[in-house]
Amino acid sequence: MRTAGFILAIDSYLVRKGLVSILTRIQGIRIVQEFSDSLIFQQYAQKQEIEFLIISQSLFDRSSELFVSRPGLLEKTILLKESPVSPDNTPNSISLLEGKEQIVAKIRRITEMHSNFHPRGFSSELTQREKTIVRQVSLGLTNKQIAETLFLSTHTVTTHRKNISSKLGIKSVSGLTVYAIVNNIITIEELSSKPSE
Amino acid sequence: MISREMSMCQAVFENMQLLPLLPRFQIRLGFGEMNVEEVCKAHQVNPDFFLEIANAYLDEAYIPGEGLSRFSLGTVVDYLQGTHAYYLDIALPNVEARISQLLAASSLSDKEVALVSAFFQDYKQEFLTHISEEEQDILPYILELEKQSALEKPDPAFLQKLQVYSIREFEQEHERLETSLEHLSRLIIKNLPPFEDVQLCQQVLHDLSDLVKDLSDHAHMEDKILIPRVAELEKALLESMHKP
Repeated sequence: MRTAGFILAIDSYLVRKGLVSILTRIQGIRIVQEFSDSLIFQQYAQKQEIEFLIISQSLFDRSSELFVSRPGLLEKTILLKESPVSPDNTPNSISLLEGKEQIVAKIRRITEMHSNFHPRGFSSELTQREKTIVRQVSLGLTNKQIAETLFLSTHTVTTHRKNISSKLGIKSVSGLTVYAIVNNIITIEELSSKPSE
Repeated sequence: MISREMSMCQAVFENMQLLPLLPRFQIRLGFGEMNVEEVCKAHQVNPDFFLEIANAYLDEAYIPGEGLSRFSLGTVVDYLQGTHAYYLDIALPNVEARISQLLAASSLSDKEVALVSAFFQDYKQEFLTHISEEEQDILPYILELEKQSALEKPDPAFLQKLQVYSIREFEQEHERLETSLEHLSRLIIKNLPPFEDVQLCQQVLHDLSDLVKDLSDHAHMEDKILIPRVAELEKALLESMHKP
């Protein structure tokens, strides 16, 4: 399963660790490296591929050359500001004054915008259709049987199954069944006497 | 964070999470007054490497230091194989045996027993596949990369492969093995009827939680230490190609 790798370049220890504690609770996000010093950060950034970056205003101001030399970087960067940001401001800014939900929502938006990452915990929520399919898989139906019940092509069901597996990181029928039970998609009583193929 | 001058006894006493790491380095208890470096040397372990691994285990946010370039990838590969062997020979069979014992002594319905057994069997199969892929494809690639990097004239066929493949691809596809296990714990806590053998049930939940933590630390170590080091080597080799 793909995870979105974040670099944090923030000079304040407390702010950086605070953000780490938020990010590590968002599954599907990985903190690749933390920096407090702009020179060390720039040395790193010259050499390494960066998926996503959260940078404080002061380090950002001191790293202007980097952003000139790496034109694609800016759109994968979230700027951390000390002052409030107006709602119509670029989505790529977070203010220290914002609440956890807003911060998480912005991080979610930027990862979704730029790739097909599926950070677990929020965007990995299954769609209603996917839940229906997980339910039928748990009941022991084959892809063909599911396609017939839902008036879909087998190909479409296969695609749904792939998306479900990559969202949840679960491939096996028994794994999906346990997931479905724990998440109230099906009850143990409803399972057929043979829970998996 | 532990350092080379620290007493090994104190390091372990204060950080009991290090205990499962020691056998992977063939390090035995009974350290006496030896410090971390002395214990490592006595067991033919590179102290820099031991410190990198131990500190990465102790602190999720640990940033690998300069020590990173001081040990060979062969050392890392040995350690990874040791860890895989620990999962296959000790951790998984232990959990499996405890789960069967728990199921055998329970008053669960046939359906519930079948569900848990099928789940664990499938999980074990996925686990084995995952590890054998790493051992058959990734680890030999890493060793070859290190070998080629040391050569005056690297093999052109290998260089060609290097231009299209990078360890970063492996990182992207690196699946997490701990997710499914977490669902099993939730199933026991939330959905299954209570087990009569409360002690055994607690033990199973602790085993599962330890294994989840260990797997997540292991993935962390592969992502934070192994992959950056391999990527560094890939880059250096590619750059050397363009030099006259």
